[in-house]
Order: sequence, then C-alpha cells, then structure tokens
Amino acid sequence: MITTFAIGCFTVAGLLGSYRLLAGPGLADRIVALDVTLISLMGAITVDAAASGDTTNLIMLVVLAIIGFTATVSASRFLEHENPTSLAAIKAASTHSSSSKASRRESKS
Amino acid sequence: MTLIAEVLMLIAGLIAMLAGLGLLRFETAYARFHAAGKASPVAFLIAALGASTQVGWVGTAYLAIAAMAMILTLPVGVHLMFRAVHRTTPGDHLAIDDLSPAEQEAESAAAAMAAKAARESK
Repeated sequence: MITTFAIGCFTVAGLLGSYRLLAGPGLADRIVALDVTLISLMGAITVDAAASGDTTNLIMLVVLAIIGFTATVSASRFLEHENPTSLAAIKAASTHSSSSKASRRESKS
Repeated sequence: MTLIAEVLMLIAGLIAMLAGLGLLRFETAYARFHAAGKASPVAFLIAALGASTQVGWVGTAYLAIAAMAMILTLPVGVHLMFRAVHRTTPGDHLAIDDLSPAEQEAESAAAAMAAKAARESK
C-alpha cells in the first residue's frame, strides 16, 4: 500500500517534469526537466525493486545516472556554442576596454 | 517490507513530488534549476537508503554505485546548465551578477598572458 503510494508520488513528479519538458520556455529548462523525469524513473525502479526483493533491474539505475549526466553536459556545451551572446560581448569588452554590459546590449540589438 | 523502509520511501516520494512542483511553479530558470537540482537527488538517495534494507548485499552495491554516480555528476551538470543560461541570456537579467565581472577578469588575464607570450617569442 505504502509502496504503491510512493510509486504514485514518483509518477506525479515525472509527469510534472514531462509538462515542463513539453512547455518549457527554453532549451535549458527542457534538459533539466528531462533530468527530473529520469530521476523520478530511477526512484520508481528503486521502490519497485525493494517491494519485490528482486535485484535484476537495479543495474539500470547506474546506466540511467550516467546517461543523464552525459545528456546534461552535452546539451549545455551545445547551448553555449549555439548562442554565445555574452561570451562574445565579454571578449569585445576586454579588447576595447569598454564596459561589458554596454557591449552586451549592443550585441543584443 | 520493514516499517523503516516504507517510511523512507514515502519521504522520498514526497520530496520527488516537491521537486516536480518547484519545476512547475517557479518563475525564473534559475529558480527552477535550484528546485530540480537539489531536491531530486535527495529523493533518490533516501529511496536508495530505504531499498538497501530490502535487496541484500548485491542490490545494496548496485544502489551505492548509482547513488555515488548521481552525487558526483548531478551537481556538475546542473552547474553547467546554470552557466549556459547565464552566458546565453543577453542583457541585465539579474539583480546581482557576480559571474560577469569574474569572467571579464579571466578574459583580460588570458589576453594579457597571450600578449606576453607573443612578446617573448619575438
């Protein structure tokens, strides 16, 4: 009974993460929502393994943890290379010795 | 299942639901990352602690490896997402911004080192 409730809680968390995954305003929000969904799946697998006493599925947890980390890191690198707004502004500011905020506004417009 | 495992798993499910609620309700991207990156690994760790009383030594070893991988990697990933959002959002979107002056300082230091190396190679 309590096991069912705990798995239901993890399912609700995964559904909330899925909503943010579909509706998130930016790519970074979607990636972090994917992380939360993945961790909810990991928690549900853990609770299920404890309820049945079966260790077959537990090796999946290690794989899921590493996949989540790889996805987050590669997506963040992709984001920075795709749209390096403020980095370019900072470089321009350090070479022309103007303030970085002014040049950032220029690069925005 | 023992009582302590059930209680720990109940707490873990509630914390995971809190992480999902924070992801759903918070206004800015930084606040959403804060909720998602701190509450969800704690939820998994508590669930693993409860499950480790039920699955024997082999299962506990699997759970320990997974928890270790999560503890080591998830803060790094969320930190990288914070930095990516900070770098790709144009303009002044923060009330207090400590990262931009530090990055500017590092950039100017790197430029000075490159200029010094170019002078010495001549």
